[in-house]
Amino acid sequence: MEKKYKKIADVVFTIAVLCLAFIISLFIQFYLGVDSLAPAVFMLAVFFISVCTEGIYYGIVASLAGVLIFNYAFRIPYFIFNLKIADNMVSAVIMLAMTSMSSFLASKLKQHEKMKAESEKEKMRANLLRAVSHDLRTPLTTIYGSGSAIVEKFDYMSKEQILQLAGGICEDAQWLTGMVENLLSITRIDNDGIKIKKTPIVLEELIDTVLMRFKKRYPNQNIFIDIPDDFVSIPMDAVLIEQVIVNILENAVQHAEGMTELKLKVFVVGSKAIFEITDNGCGIEKDLLPHIFSGYYERKDTPVDYQKRSMSIGLSVCASIIKAHDGSITAENRKEGGSCFRFSLDMETEENE
Amino acid sequence: MNNNKHKILIIEDELNICNFVKTILETNDYQVVTARNGAEGKTIGFSHNPDLIVLDLGLPDIDGCNLIQIFREKVGTPIIVLSARTNESDKVKALDLGANDYITKPFGTNELLARVRATLRNNRFAGIGDRQLRKKFTVQDMSIEYELRRVMIGKTEIKLTQTEYNILELLSVHAGRVLTYSEIIKKIWGYSDSGSIKKLQVNMANIRKKFGERPGEYRYILNELGIGYRMNAESEKEEQ
Repeated sequence: MEKKYKKIADVVFTIAVLCLAFIISLFIQFYLGVDSLAPAVFMLAVFFISVCTEGIYYGIVASLAGVLIFNYAFRIPYFIFNLKIADNMVSAVIMLAMTSMSSFLASKLKQHEKMKAESEKEKMRANLLRAVSHDLRTPLTTIYGSGSAIVEKFDYMSKEQILQLAGGICEDAQWLTGMVENLLSITRIDNDGIKIKKTPIVLEELIDTVLMRFKKRYPNQNIFIDIPDDFVSIPMDAVLIEQVIVNILENAVQHAEGMTELKLKVFVVGSKAIFEITDNGCGIEKDLLPHIFSGYYERKDTPVDYQKRSMSIGLSVCASIIKAHDGSITAENRKEGGSCFRFSLDMETEENE
Repeated sequence: MNNNKHKILIIEDELNICNFVKTILETNDYQVVTARNGAEGKTIGFSHNPDLIVLDLGLPDIDGCNLIQIFREKVGTPIIVLSARTNESDKVKALDLGANDYITKPFGTNELLARVRATLRNNRFAGIGDRQLRKKFTVQDMSIEYELRRVMIGKTEIKLTQTEYNILELLSVHAGRVLTYSEIIKKIWGYSDSGSIKKLQVNMANIRKKFGERPGEYRYILNELGIGYRMNAESEKEEQ
């Protein structure tokens, strides 16, 4: 569906630019009395078309059309096709060659950019994979070790020992679950070019679901909620946005030392819904702040003093999800202490899917 | 005594998951039969006549949704589906085909037991089908008297509009079960158009407002985000 729209848009764009070039050339010829500028104008037009449309064909078609129009309207005899005069023929061939070359170059440039982005993505993926595999190893060690200990030495262990080991298994499995949810979120948005599917979600229901999930994990953490009284519906991929909010809240619980108040506020400004999560903990270290959303991907060597909660995948995932929603996300330290995470989502529904 | 136990059939190809679900259920006084693939599940499902089926959607031989269809053509045995988190469309499809509930993997003991209890209890009434026999619905401090079309929370009567009451009644009759948006819309309005889901959501928001509930504290009607709603069937007393 989307491809079809893009095609129509490209065709319309090509025709519009050619028309514009024609009008401008006509104008120049009429008022300045020179027709030597027309090829330049058409060259420019063809270049524009090649840069702004997909594929090489529009550029070539436009350059052909440009040559014909030029021959027809701006060469003596005016408004008659005349391919017999050698002069006209030569200039037409030169113009065709130049325009198609520029169109070819432009498409090459685009291809190169695409490849560069692709390799960047590949690099990020490799980094992610390395970081993840490392992070998975520690909880797996606990689970495997404890499990096999219970299986092999069951008769020699006290009830307390077994319970302790089993408790460790539960805890680390839960951490693994969180990690896998985040990874799944990434694969969900990374499905090469497929746009995420947005459905209208009622704000209160979203918040309710987030809180239910959060309370299960952190029963003792209170969250102060401040959302509009009106019925607010926001188009989103609910599973992903739920993940974003949970990740940010979780980040606060784990990192904001000395926090006594955690607040989730949502308000509407114009056509945007702003989500704001603030705490009054220790804030974010200054040198960490610029990398807070990309740290996980950038981490090259894993630190020796491994701590599974040191730099988690959560915030990086948040950034990817919000980006996929065409929203924006920021993190800052508050003047009065603590940190503030803010992200925005568009409220407008795209009617045609 | 043995005969009074509910019989539960687990259809799951992963041995470890199968074992742990079996252990949990057996230690909670259910009788358990297991099947390791769809074909076996189908045979046992029809021959053993279980009270409940726990069905994994990703079976090696038969698509779980097909299996639901096969069962639904012949029997009304309640089905709880085990599914991965990522496939809401699968969940909705399974529910619309007649599954009673779903549990997202990975899940814990409490979650599993709560769903099993709720589904079994709900099904006792659903079999009767006749609301006359069930004049009143109660969950925690909320009660619905069907004949009077009266909704009470504690001692206060809650004034609902016609539509709001109908939605509430529908959910309460199927308490414990997830009803998808499309299922509710079909039963309440009889038709659906592009604005139907929003209409339902607005009504739901109003019901909750009248109940005086804040997000994070919804106790009576639970959200299944992007899928539908569920009337809470666990009353606080029974949880203890």
